[in-house]
Amino acid sequence: MDDARPAATTGRYIGQRVARKEDTRLLTGRGVYVDDVGVPGMLHVAFHRSPIARGRIRSIDLSAARALPGVFALVTADDLARFKVDMLSFFLAQPVVPVPVLANGRVTYVGDPVVMVVAQDRYLAEDAAGLIVVEYDEEDPVVTLDDAKTGALVHPDTDSNVAAATGAEELDEDLEAALAAAAHLETLAFRHQRISQSPMETRGVVAQPHGSGELTVYLSCQGPQLCARWFAQALELPQTSIRVISKDVGGSFGLKGQPWREEVAVVLGAMLLRRPLKWIEDRLENLTAANQAREQEITLRAAFDAEGRLVASHADYGLNNGAYPQGADSNIAVMMFLWGAHKLPAFSFRARGWFTNTVGLAAYRGPWAIESLAREVLLDRAARRMGIDPIELRRRNLIRRSDQPWTTPMGLELTDISPAECLDVLLQKVDVAAFRAEQAAARREGRYLGIGFATYIEPTAGSTGVAVLMSESAHLRVEPTGTVTAVVSTHSQGHGTQTTMAQVIADRLGVPYEHVEVYEDDSSRGGYGSGAYGSRQAVAGGGACIRAADLLLARIRESAAHILGVRTDDIVLRNGVLHVTGDKPQTVSLRDLADIAYGDPDRMPDGHAGLEAQYRYRPPPITMTSAAHACIVEVDAQTGFVKIRRWVTSEDCGNMINPAIVEGQIAGGLAQAIGSVLMEEVSFDARGNPTAVTYKDYMLPTIFDVPEFEYHHDASMPSQAEGGFRGVGEGGCIVGPPTLVNAIADALIPFGELELELPLTPARLLAHIEQRPEIARPKPAEASEAPAPAADAPADPVPVAAAAHNVPAPSAPQEPFAPASGARIDGGWKFVLSTPMGPQAFDGRLATDGDQLSGVFIMNMDEAHFTGTVTGNQLKWDLKVTKPMKITLKYEAVVEGDTLTGKCKMGVFGSAKLKGERVKG
Amino acid sequence: MKPAPFDYYAPASVEEACQLLADAGGGATVLAGGQTLMPLLALRMSQPFVLVDITRIRALRGVSRSGATTRIGPVTRQNEALADATLQQHQPLLVTALRHVGHHQTRNRGTVGGSIALGEPAAELPATAVALGASVEVRSVRGTRTIPAQELYFGPYATALEPDELLTAVDVPEWPAGTVSLFREIAMRPGDFALVGLTGALTVADGVVTRAGVAWFGMGPTPIKARQLEAALVGQRVDALDAGALTELAIADTAPFDDLHATAEYRRTVGRRVFAAALGEALNLRKAA
Repeated sequence: MDDARPAATTGRYIGQRVARKEDTRLLTGRGVYVDDVGVPGMLHVAFHRSPIARGRIRSIDLSAARALPGVFALVTADDLARFKVDMLSFFLAQPVVPVPVLANGRVTYVGDPVVMVVAQDRYLAEDAAGLIVVEYDEEDPVVTLDDAKTGALVHPDTDSNVAAATGAEELDEDLEAALAAAAHLETLAFRHQRISQSPMETRGVVAQPHGSGELTVYLSCQGPQLCARWFAQALELPQTSIRVISKDVGGSFGLKGQPWREEVAVVLGAMLLRRPLKWIEDRLENLTAANQAREQEITLRAAFDAEGRLVASHADYGLNNGAYPQGADSNIAVMMFLWGAHKLPAFSFRARGWFTNTVGLAAYRGPWAIESLAREVLLDRAARRMGIDPIELRRRNLIRRSDQPWTTPMGLELTDISPAECLDVLLQKVDVAAFRAEQAAARREGRYLGIGFATYIEPTAGSTGVAVLMSESAHLRVEPTGTVTAVVSTHSQGHGTQTTMAQVIADRLGVPYEHVEVYEDDSSRGGYGSGAYGSRQAVAGGGACIRAADLLLARIRESAAHILGVRTDDIVLRNGVLHVTGDKPQTVSLRDLADIAYGDPDRMPDGHAGLEAQYRYRPPPITMTSAAHACIVEVDAQTGFVKIRRWVTSEDCGNMINPAIVEGQIAGGLAQAIGSVLMEEVSFDARGNPTAVTYKDYMLPTIFDVPEFEYHHDASMPSQAEGGFRGVGEGGCIVGPPTLVNAIADALIPFGELELELPLTPARLLAHIEQRPEIARPKPAEASEAPAPAADAPADPVPVAAAAHNVPAPSAPQEPFAPASGARIDGGWKFVLSTPMGPQAFDGRLATDGDQLSGVFIMNMDEAHFTGTVTGNQLKWDLKVTKPMKITLKYEAVVEGDTLTGKCKMGVFGSAKLKGERVKG
Repeated sequence: MKPAPFDYYAPASVEEACQLLADAGGGATVLAGGQTLMPLLALRMSQPFVLVDITRIRALRGVSRSGATTRIGPVTRQNEALADATLQQHQPLLVTALRHVGHHQTRNRGTVGGSIALGEPAAELPATAVALGASVEVRSVRGTRTIPAQELYFGPYATALEPDELLTAVDVPEWPAGTVSLFREIAMRPGDFALVGLTGALTVADGVVTRAGVAWFGMGPTPIKARQLEAALVGQRVDALDAGALTELAIADTAPFDDLHATAEYRRTVGRRVFAAALGEALNLRKAA
């Protein structure tokens, strides 16, 4: 942790719109994507996939496919049984349900890979895949969130379709009373449609085994270091034997944070067959079998006092996890940031992720973005109903700079957010009064203009609570030729980290930008880092580059001073030349120094050769970016089409490395926001068949749909991080949707409050304008409705110890806490706690002394001791923790035989299931 | 690209192409500009045994006139047609429609005949052919026949062409002086197929509508000829025309359906407006001229 706040800086390169290092390569077709990789002896993979969403595999007939000349192998789940594979989440947590690499006995979504075909070329592989005959016993699928609540179990070995849950299962009476008693209660309930990340480059992998049991994996991914670690841990291979190479990437947007089923199948296939294998996902596969995102429902209630100040709020949230999510998730970040920038005294929530027979959940740029959409749309509605200007309502509730430090009810400690100040800047650029006059005049002509505002804060470059996201590394060296090579754990997805990291290094070191080359494409070089994840690269990667450059510069100056016999302080490196002042003024090129450093080390200080430095930088726990956006639209009341006339952004992303790249990030996120609001939707029919399977039906915004954006950067408050940078990778995709929705709703207010049914297609908007019911949609459950667990799924795991044994609960009510005579508690246990970040496994010991309990949890080379009480087989204890935040965890559990079942109450975060198995012997 | 196996032929003459289609016994698909077919082949949504590439048949390319008919070779690229002086002079509606076909890049490859032979019900060119009373010449080893465009389409991508038949010409009658164009398209994004599209021509002589050809696209399983509207328009005095009063007749022949992008109700509602706006615009333009 680094507490010194650096001054705002722009330098020779930092803060400048320098030309991107990547552009010549990428714009002239010389990029190297996975499909450009070929290795000798490479075979090609195609998958035979399930045509049904749910069923049992009765038989697989491979005979016709096997007879096809050129087919090398047909790989099924049985063939992969020899490998032990844990399909870890992005956080490297164990999956909540085992995720088979290939369908094993059952298929769980349309597109579920059943057989991997390996053939001489992709044509033959596809031919063979078409000749495979699989017979299924088809079952009725669980497709929607409503299906998940009432339908059959998606995974028969589980006790409910709840994949993950956080928050309070029961409504808080005090909070409900506060909501009911307030001067104004606003409720917003809506569903967010499912979105495909749709990277221009689909997923792809080339897995090349080497004779010694080593593997080189060419992978389209967000970070080769993290993916190499993932493979090593998931496949229990030594990490030294896995090398992941990922040169150019055509976008990921969260989809490629980790390898998933197909990539793993290809790697295992290469190990099994001892041949290099290649698979490039086609667009049909990408739109149907690559994991997807969003599909959520939320009911948000917020109460205000008579002056429009927030009093209390409650959110009820559901997230479709599909069958095999890349980490079962109830999306705690939604709740963390829903009111993260607002003065809200009381908040509670219930959030659940649900399994369904659809393709699994992955991240998508701003995975928690629905918090901003729900909040900002609700604020506009509340403002209209209370008769308060929507900007004024925001100002009354936003936490200003002068209010900080501030701790939110969710434990977020804020020191330097500035959404209110960004809104101030925005309002200097947008003349609202003039717009309102124009709007009124237009309405008289039957033209409907609208303006929408939204503010948000974005957590970037987190380095707390998530073990895979702590730090980034930079290794720098001056080559013997005098140029600088940097190996950094960042990873460009096409957005230019080779440029930004080179800017930082060149600036800090004092060498020409052209003399710095950045490498970030190979897990065997440099050090661990997560790559393009969580808007972290400018902050964490940039910080690492600054620190490493400072170390290298010190080494350069000390070496030069030693060689020249001058004082270190008399040496400055500028534009690649060492300038010596003082008694012996002269200039020495960095190349001449490097010549000596490598060729004549006896002249170096202490005789050490070379000019090299490395630094692993951990940024502050969280670096907040703030923004306010405004958008002006015209809605054609004849056709329901939306024309975006103006879009103004005002953000505080601290010091900028390259404003053009910052603006590219904002614009890209906003393009995706426009797509989400107006046209994109992954849809399914009632049998779980995807219905938008090509780009004819899955509508992405084009250049015609995305306006020129106006940018206003406020860099007056550098972040606490080295360099003062803040992340900006996801913001447009978070703040864009509410900005646009609010503008459309404002335009159409003469026709009443717009019901938020995404996407807001022309047909839906025209239906609103003409007050017609349009396509019927399932409505999100009302918050007051009792939880509706599956019939055989107990909502509360504690009383039904039998659930842990996967046997049905007896139909007669069971006495929950009846003392079980002779229940043995003392001894060693293996525990699994289902945390919001995924299941966490650890060891522990319990000991009883009469009605006193003592125990210890042992994890990560650390011990947590606790004491509690015993009543029969019922245990209770508290555990105070300080990380990731200060909280008292309240445990309750019952012991039945060799099994412990219970829960951990985590304050406002709700309950997590605890399971324990006795350590035998 | 990873299509299923097929035999590829690139014949140099129509006769050769027809023989190949006949020999394939129904298993052949004609490749022209490939803007629809190539993606379908790549995704294996289309798996023909034989692909007959007709782009090397010079006789199938270019625009000519014969009497009061414009003949367009089916392999004429859409951008070539757009830039063709003959079409600009004699088929202004067709040129307007071509501007809405896909994007500049796809029009460099896409052909006029390919679009008309495919029979996408939400596409611009089939409906325009229907509206203008065009016909297509088709040939096979069994002979040559002419099919009026309005009899060409049975359903989405289903046409009267037999599997062994090759579309060899699109013949578009030239409408007389005093003809105005009607064209409006509502699409999710520029270049997309239509949610609602209207294309047509009206000939006005001495203030009276003497001839009307109007068709819808995106408003049913095929291009829809607005027969009732045409009948109602012919004989009317232009200065007495009330677009608002004709809107129900205008959509009377359509049969729109719900799909992922819009409802049938949306299409009917917007269709009425599209018609009223297009008619008003056409008549205003005529007055201004």
